[in-house]
Amino acid sequence: MSVRKRLRIIAAFLLCGIFLLAIAAELVTPYSYAQQFREIPNASPSELHPLGTDGLGRDLFSRLLYGTRVSLLLAPAAALLSTLIAGALGGAAGFLGGWWERAILAMADLSMASPLLFVLIALRAILPLNVAPLVSVIATFLILGLLGWPSSLRVIWAATRNIRNSDFLLLARSTGCGPMRMIFRQIFPNLRPGLFAQFWISIPVFILTEATLSMLGLGVSEPMPSWGNLLRGLEDFSAVTSNPGRFAPLVMLTLVVICFQIILPSQEDLG
Amino acid sequence: MTKWFATLVRRLLSLMALTVAGGFLAATLVRYSPGYGVDERELDPRLSQPSIEWIRSQHNRDPGLIRYYGKYLGAAVRGDFGTSESLHRPISQLLAERFHVTLRSVSLAVITAWAAAFALATLSWLFGGWLFDLSCTLISGFMLSLPAAVIALLFVYLRAPVFLAIAVVMFPKLFRFIHNLLSHASEQPHVLAARARGIARPRIFLRHILAPATATLVALLGTSASMSFGTAVPIEALCDSAGIGQLAWYAAINRDLPLIINLTLIVTLITVACNSFADYSSKLISGEI
Repeated sequence: MSVRKRLRIIAAFLLCGIFLLAIAAELVTPYSYAQQFREIPNASPSELHPLGTDGLGRDLFSRLLYGTRVSLLLAPAAALLSTLIAGALGGAAGFLGGWWERAILAMADLSMASPLLFVLIALRAILPLNVAPLVSVIATFLILGLLGWPSSLRVIWAATRNIRNSDFLLLARSTGCGPMRMIFRQIFPNLRPGLFAQFWISIPVFILTEATLSMLGLGVSEPMPSWGNLLRGLEDFSAVTSNPGRFAPLVMLTLVVICFQIILPSQEDLG
Repeated sequence: MTKWFATLVRRLLSLMALTVAGGFLAATLVRYSPGYGVDERELDPRLSQPSIEWIRSQHNRDPGLIRYYGKYLGAAVRGDFGTSESLHRPISQLLAERFHVTLRSVSLAVITAWAAAFALATLSWLFGGWLFDLSCTLISGFMLSLPAAVIALLFVYLRAPVFLAIAVVMFPKLFRFIHNLLSHASEQPHVLAARARGIARPRIFLRHILAPATATLVALLGTSASMSFGTAVPIEALCDSAGIGQLAWYAAINRDLPLIINLTLIVTLITVACNSFADYSSKLISGEI
């Protein structure tokens, strides 16, 4: 077994472990993410609180587990949304060609030209900021999903165009195969590996973007935890030096993103 | 010469079309955003009806989108982008004060990140063995896994300059791209033939790898502009650098829609201009024009 394959297996196990831990947060920790222990704010790690508590006396371990759940469930959801948009638009541009192709590609170019973070914060600012925590979570990841498609679109468009010009599609067309049948029986199955790769690439990008947005106070709002707003704890330098447990969200986030990078399917895997 | 001129004119026209379309999109977003034209002072029971009417008149609420956009575009042509709702100052004035700060940070960051990424990728190609390659890949992979805001915090603790933080965020992306580009070029048959003939590696690098890759590298330079402006937002906000990145963050936090939308539009235009210039130069170098 090659080193790369072994690394992938380890990374997959780690990701599964972290995911299961986050899903079973209620069973692993007795505290809710919002429960306060007002008598022990900024506490150091102890038996009751393995990572200590934050400035409001909330258990950091519980918040980390619940925050992992939010980030690890919603980043793939946003990635799925952006991949679906990229698949639909890129597929349409590649299959239809002509003005459709030009219009869709121009739209993608325009979206790619703007710095993503500027557009993200502009759109986030258009929505009211004082919304319920759950709404802020959904809004953040929905915006990520709705804005993250342009780079994937280019890849899907190029793949669809290649398929459109292929011999087997020409044969299908000449035998009287209808457009819908061609899309679902010929094009889509051949696009699947590309769509899967784009989906997988988008997940760590969205995790990192959410972290940055939440650290700036424009993402998931308190008391709902996410890796981003847990990382805001690092801004308090004195608390960080007294409790290294505050680095746990950063370690977890970095580990997960590295695992995603390792598992990412290579060109050979996609055939 | 004619093709060269036609391409240039086409690019300028597309930039103008983008300005009009982008402006319309921005105006639509501002006009139809929740709470448009509502001032919380209107809820103050101590204010009389004339005072409330005066506050309302200050917001220039237009019923139609087209009229609103017409007014907005007319003012923008004169360099008047409106007034910031949170800072109560003209947006053009705020831009004039802060733009040079960001431009300086971003320019220095692009130069630093490019120099480091290019130098390391070149060294890796010329002298690096598998260990050097692996170390570079691991370091860049680790840096790619850190959110930009965490890198900004690290630079706050270290009291290091802002441009360096932007460069650190950009470096791994540039390094990976340049490294892959050089690796791909070195697998070309003519490079393998040159190696087999015993031509020195630096000569192969300059004549057979760098020269064909120059056009792509120049195109990447344009993308770096967009990347660096995007990175400037969290870095300037957290490092307290008074540039337009910090201004954008402030505008978003205070829901100052005219300011944030205008900033986004202006930054988009700058990055599109940079991209177009880089793309045009790249085509000139590759001989497509």
